[in-house]
Formats: sequence, C-alpha cells, structure tokens
Amino acid sequence: MHSTTRIALVTALVAIPASLFAQAGRIDEELAKGRAMLAADNPGELWELKGSKLFYEKRGPKNASLEQCDLGQGPGRLEGAFAQLPRYFADTGRVQDMESRLLSCMVELQGFQEADLKKNAFSTLSRNSDMEALATFVAAKSNGMKLAAPLAHEKEREMYAAGEKIFFRRNGPMDFACTTCHDDTAGKRIRLQDLPNMNDPKEIQGVMSTWPAYRGTQSTVRTMQHRLFDCNWQMRLPPLGYVSDFSIALTTYLTQKAAGGMIEVPGSKR
Amino acid sequence: MKIMHRSSAMFLAALLLGSCATQPPTVSAGRIEAILAGAYPDATAEQKRRSVQDDAQKLCSKAVAQPLNPEEAVKVVESSRASIKYPASDKLSGDWKIGEKLAQDGYGLRLLPGGGGDVIPNRANGANCYACHTLDPKEVNAGNLGVNLSGFGLARGNTPETQKYAYDKVYNAWAFFPCSQMPRMGANGFLTPEQITHVVAFLLDPASPVNKK
Repeated sequence: MHSTTRIALVTALVAIPASLFAQAGRIDEELAKGRAMLAADNPGELWELKGSKLFYEKRGPKNASLEQCDLGQGPGRLEGAFAQLPRYFADTGRVQDMESRLLSCMVELQGFQEADLKKNAFSTLSRNSDMEALATFVAAKSNGMKLAAPLAHEKEREMYAAGEKIFFRRNGPMDFACTTCHDDTAGKRIRLQDLPNMNDPKEIQGVMSTWPAYRGTQSTVRTMQHRLFDCNWQMRLPPLGYVSDFSIALTTYLTQKAAGGMIEVPGSKR
Repeated sequence: MKIMHRSSAMFLAALLLGSCATQPPTVSAGRIEAILAGAYPDATAEQKRRSVQDDAQKLCSKAVAQPLNPEEAVKVVESSRASIKYPASDKLSGDWKIGEKLAQDGYGLRLLPGGGGDVIPNRANGANCYACHTLDPKEVNAGNLGVNLSGFGLARGNTPETQKYAYDKVYNAWAFFPCSQMPRMGANGFLTPEQITHVVAFLLDPASPVNKK
C-alpha cells in the first residue's frame, strides 16, 4: 500500500468519528441551554404556597387541619421531615414515603376517604390536586438539608432490598426494567431526552432531591409517585397503584442510593 | 446440658448477626410476590399478566454485578432462536417507506387508569426505532441508547442472508445478544412479522434514507 493512501485512510477514519462527536456535542449543548431556561422561571413555588394554605386550613369531614400530622419528627414538626423519608411508622406498621404519610394524615385527622385521595392524587387539565401542593410545601421544609432516610428498621431494610430487586426486574411487552434507561446510561438519550444514570451518585442525588418538581410539559407540579407512575406507563405496564408498596420499595431504594443529596424543592423539569 | 449450652450460644450468635448493620438488606421471595401482586390494583387480570416474567426475563433480571453464567446465556439464546416466526410469504424484506413510518411511530400498548392510553381501535403498534437509534442520518431527533444504524445496508449489502439477520435481530434480539436492552419486538407480539419485514427494508434497501449519505 502506498504511504499516501495509508495516510488518507487513517485521516478518513479519524475525521468521520470526530465530526460525529462534534455534532453530538452541539446537540447536548443546545439541550442544556433549553433546560437552563426552563429552570430559571419555575412556577412551582405557587404550589408550595397553596400547600401551606391547605396544610393549616380546617378541612374534610372532621373539619381539622394537618397541624397534628406526624411525618416522622413528631406532630406538626415539618422541618427536616422529608429529608428522613421514607421510613417505618409504628402506627401504620408500614414503611411510608412523604405522600403515603400525608395520605394517612388526611384520612386519620381530616376524615377524607382513602380511595378518593388516591384517585385525585395526580392533577388533570380539569382538576387540581391537593396532594401535589401539600407534598411541595412539606418537601420544601427540608430545603438545604441532605437526604438522610433511616435504614435501621427491619422493614426499611426489607423495602430497600425489594426496591433493588424491582429496579433490575425486566418485564412487560417491551422487556424493560428501570435499568434499561437508568443504569450506566451516562450521555444516553431517548430521542432527545437525556436519561439520568442512577449508578452515578451525583446524578441520582440530583434526581431524588428535586421532586416534587414543576414539569413544563404538563403545566403542573408532579411528585415522585407520579414520576414512578409515568415510568411504569412508558414501560407498558398497568397503571401503578398510588403509594403502593411497589412504589415505596423503589423510592426507599433510590433515596438510599441518593443519600447526601442536597434537597432543592420544587425542582424544574421538562 | 452440653447441647443446651451450644444451642443457646447459636441463638446468641444469630441475634448478634440479625442486629448487625453491615448485613446486606434482604427480602423474602414471598414478600416480593406480595409487593408485585399489590402494584397494580386497578388493572384487569389480562393487564396484570404483563408484569409476570417469562423464563428469559427472569434470567435477564440479575443485577449488573452478577452476569449470566455460560449455561444461562445459552438457555436465553436457544429459547430466543426457537421463538422466531416468519411471515406466510417468506419474503423478509418489505416496503422501506412503511418501515420508515414504523421507525418514527411510538404508538402502542401504553395503559392509563380508566381505560385510557394507546387504545385507538385497529391502530397497529409502531416500531419506535428512533427512540434509541440513529437511522436516516438527516433525522436529528434520534436517541442514542442503541447503536447508530446509519448506513446499515451499505455496510452489509441487501442479500437474503442480511435480510434474515436483520429480521431475526428485530424479531428477537436476545437470539444474538442474550439480555440485550433491545425489546424482543416480534417474540413479544409488539410487532407483527409483516411489520418487521418493512423495518428490514428500511434498514437494508439501497433506496432507503438509512443508506443515503
């Protein structure tokens, strides 16, 4: 082979991937700009304000406020409560995340029907959700603190192990597991949507410390329970039960993996 | 007396182990089953069956730290090969234009509470290739979870052999790469054999934009 041909071949081999990388880099840059613009203007604080009003208002068949709600730090103590959830609660005998615990309080203290609360937990275009506002208000009371859910109780450890199993469990007509999109997926996208890599401590902290979040595509605040519901929907699985043990097992596992992440709620997402 | 002594020592050891925080968290198979059974309270029995795993899915659900052993990998590959069915016509490459539409189309099998979701009557599922793959190099809105397939046919040629390879790969990717992230589009009934022939044409036909510069 002539040396000039060889040089030309080598140059071609080097030049093609380089131009492809340059294009990929430009797409990532443009996408990052768009996300930053979204984050700069976050209407989620309106949900936080509404949540504050709902929390202290006397409501429901028992005409009571949520001031006596114990989210793990004692009745009415909200500061830092979200930072230590999910956790085991002796009165319900369950590991509960923030939404599950708020739901328990709304049933016990205010007399709301559990089935109604579950049905209305996610807002629609025609109906607001009290839960989306309450969850934003309560979680924001842990802003600036680090995710530090306990993992000492036997039930907490059981839910962690169950969540880990579910994370790797492939099922459904698309053979998806959480890992399909969120395990060693640094720099990976579905279409143009980037995928957080839950194996990267910084990335998982960034995810778990910023829900509830205002979602621009849905014009509302969504919660972690909704995020998991939405994943299940994309996985072509049946509608995920609100505050089901399945959802709480996954949240327990993910929150533990994200321990130390600085809470910054409401987040702002696509 | 001696036996009593030994058993009480074992009891003490078990107690210490049980309370030791360095033990990895565990969950019983029964508890997992109960958690899965309660995950979808509003689903019909037919919908719930989607979350029941087949043997290959079970083998492919191990944590990343525990890869398949060789026997398990062979098992997945063999059962996947056996799953592949061909269209009645035996023609494995169809119309690339239909294939291109399928590659763009993300419709299919999503379920929402109250009977919503992807439920348009007589609407076929899309193949949604662009979610994970670059195909036509001019299409910017393409994912990168899967490999870049631009020029797939240019590199391989449009022969009966390459058509069969592409067909089999789309039908059941696990016949080649056990536990690949790619859904088993044909084996799971997500796409029909005929639809897959159109995807094959989109990948291999020299006239397809996949094979244009």
